[in-house]
Amino acid sequence: MNIQSITQYYRKHRKAIVTATSGLLYGGGWSLGYLTSFEMASAAILVLATIVGGYDIAKTAYHEVTNRTLGIKTLVTLAAIGAIVIGEYWEAAAVVFLFSLGSYLEGRTMRKTRTALQELLEMTPDTATVRRDGELQEVPAREVEEGEVVVVRPGGKIPVDGEVVDGESAVNQAPVTGESAPVHKADGDEVYAGTVNQEGALEIRTTGAGSDTTLERIIRRVEEAQEAQSPTESLIDRFAKYYTPAVIVLAIGAYAVTQNAILSLTLLVIGCPGALVIGPPVSIVSAIGNAARSGVLMKGGEHLERAGKIDLVAFDKTGTLTKGETTVADVEGFGVADDEVLSLAATAEKKSEHHLADAIVDAARERPIAATDGGAAVAQADETDASLQSIPGPDDFDVVAGKGVIAHTKGTEVVVGNRALLEDRDINVPSRIADYVREREERGETVVHVVRDGDIIGAIALRDELRKAAPGVVTALQDVGIETVMLTGDNERTAAAVAEEVGIDEYRAELLPEDKQTVIEAYQADGHVVAMVGDGINDAPSLATADVGIAMGAAGTDTAIETADMALMADDLDRIPYAVKLSKATRWNVLENVGLAVLTVTVLLAGVLTSYVTLAAGMLVHEASVLAVILNGMRLLRH
Amino acid sequence: MSDTTQFRVLDFDCPTCASTVERALSNVDGVQHVEVHYATGRVEIEYDDSVADPDAFAQTIENQGYTPQPA
Repeated sequence: MNIQSITQYYRKHRKAIVTATSGLLYGGGWSLGYLTSFEMASAAILVLATIVGGYDIAKTAYHEVTNRTLGIKTLVTLAAIGAIVIGEYWEAAAVVFLFSLGSYLEGRTMRKTRTALQELLEMTPDTATVRRDGELQEVPAREVEEGEVVVVRPGGKIPVDGEVVDGESAVNQAPVTGESAPVHKADGDEVYAGTVNQEGALEIRTTGAGSDTTLERIIRRVEEAQEAQSPTESLIDRFAKYYTPAVIVLAIGAYAVTQNAILSLTLLVIGCPGALVIGPPVSIVSAIGNAARSGVLMKGGEHLERAGKIDLVAFDKTGTLTKGETTVADVEGFGVADDEVLSLAATAEKKSEHHLADAIVDAARERPIAATDGGAAVAQADETDASLQSIPGPDDFDVVAGKGVIAHTKGTEVVVGNRALLEDRDINVPSRIADYVREREERGETVVHVVRDGDIIGAIALRDELRKAAPGVVTALQDVGIETVMLTGDNERTAAAVAEEVGIDEYRAELLPEDKQTVIEAYQADGHVVAMVGDGINDAPSLATADVGIAMGAAGTDTAIETADMALMADDLDRIPYAVKLSKATRWNVLENVGLAVLTVTVLLAGVLTSYVTLAAGMLVHEASVLAVILNGMRLLRH
Repeated sequence: MSDTTQFRVLDFDCPTCASTVERALSNVDGVQHVEVHYATGRVEIEYDDSVADPDAFAQTIENQGYTPQPA
């Protein structure tokens, strides 16, 4: 080993070496004084131990003083100098050694918390294989330009955000979305930097590289969240501002009254509210880091603390409990051919953006050509697939929010809508039709009526499959004592059928979008702490109204992340019980840490004032309490 | 022109240490805004690049007894 590598080793492990040396000297000096009568030698060694261990502390203390901050290192330095002045060499060496050991261990454990997120960033490869000028080149991943095509071999990590332009594969998206099962990717699908291509080669057209990738954006947000102070943290910070000066005043006052120097110096040692200040941030940073690795973005300690109090979770039905892929389950014509009902409804709904409208138009396109509208179809630019029918658009059309549409085509009026719309327009529903509607609704389907010039000519039943995970998620929440509610715009019967299938406690049906907000406010007024789960786009207002808004499938959409307090990167309902339990665990963890810290400070103060606790013992308890809260907080990393 | 740079300090061993570094950095010439986060170890410095010397930032952090890493 040459000199240079020794210096390097020393620099890297300086804190450990200094602590160990001061510890050895302290042990030696103490033994010498205890076992022999070489008191001068013992004192000299103990002073040396204080100097070795205290040099770095005093240096930082100097910086603290010149920068006008009052920190524990200043207090420890004062205490050590004071102890030497009054001849308590053993106490001086012990305080310095215990403090060095404590802060060495603190630094080490905090490093683990601080690097928890970096593991995520390291998922992104440093280089990318790019097709440039017709050949493949290996370039730094950060230098890939938007629009360039990157080739990823099977088993390789994807270096950029982009869209698959060639190839087909299964991609493990766990680093971004937390989903453990690989996702199938083919032409046109979006892929994220940091995910792993498991099967086939993929060619990807870059949409973002370097710091402009979904993973980097998520990590940036996670860090902002970790740094945002929770209400508990800011309360403690305000308290800490007064605590330290107060203890110093107390130390001076105590000396003036009792002339007991040891008592005053001990007060200085415990004058830093250590565990109290350190505990809550460690709990919150650990919890947010844990969540991030499981594909849940928590927006900050404030949201996390509130989420810990949730006692009711409201789910939007469509797209949350269900897959959000509505398909036509059945078409029934009443005196008219089924196909005619469907194609007329499709024409009326053609320009609507409602998810039911999309399903009807798609179903009509896939049906054989209907004989109704005499081939008057207007070719649309977007209908390039020859095997699909083109659907003519209506002459004019109006949306009745939450009820349906009213359109005109070739001189006839077409109404497609629910019972409420029919009632508004005084359209009589024959019992045969009402029976059909009831029967479909009891299966959890949504039915729309198709009305031509005032007569009902048919009905279309639409179905949105439940997510497989939905019943399990509801049960998991109920198991931890949380009420579950489903909110939907669907009619009563459909809602009841779906609610029963999911096993949810309560449902509210026939809600217009703004009604969902009112329902949430009503629950809040009853004293509930409400979480609302939705897609974050259509439900933005109700997510904002709820105490905790949870958006699903947020990896691709910044809007959803913006409005929500918590965002699930994947459409993975299973994460909801996990996130709720983690929040509850965090809330308890913060309380435990605050409790432990307050207890420590109280016991120490009482012990010092009654002279049971002196310098070294005070330091030991102080440092032990700091380590205890850090380790307790870090349990949340592995929750 | 205003510019921003970041460091990561993994060896902060007490919250006050982070505020001390924050104060020290804000005293460096040309520094407009500094944020030092104890919990994540992230240091963010906004500075006037016609006045400040970015090399001085890492040096300042080291002088306080901590190890800056590029973020």
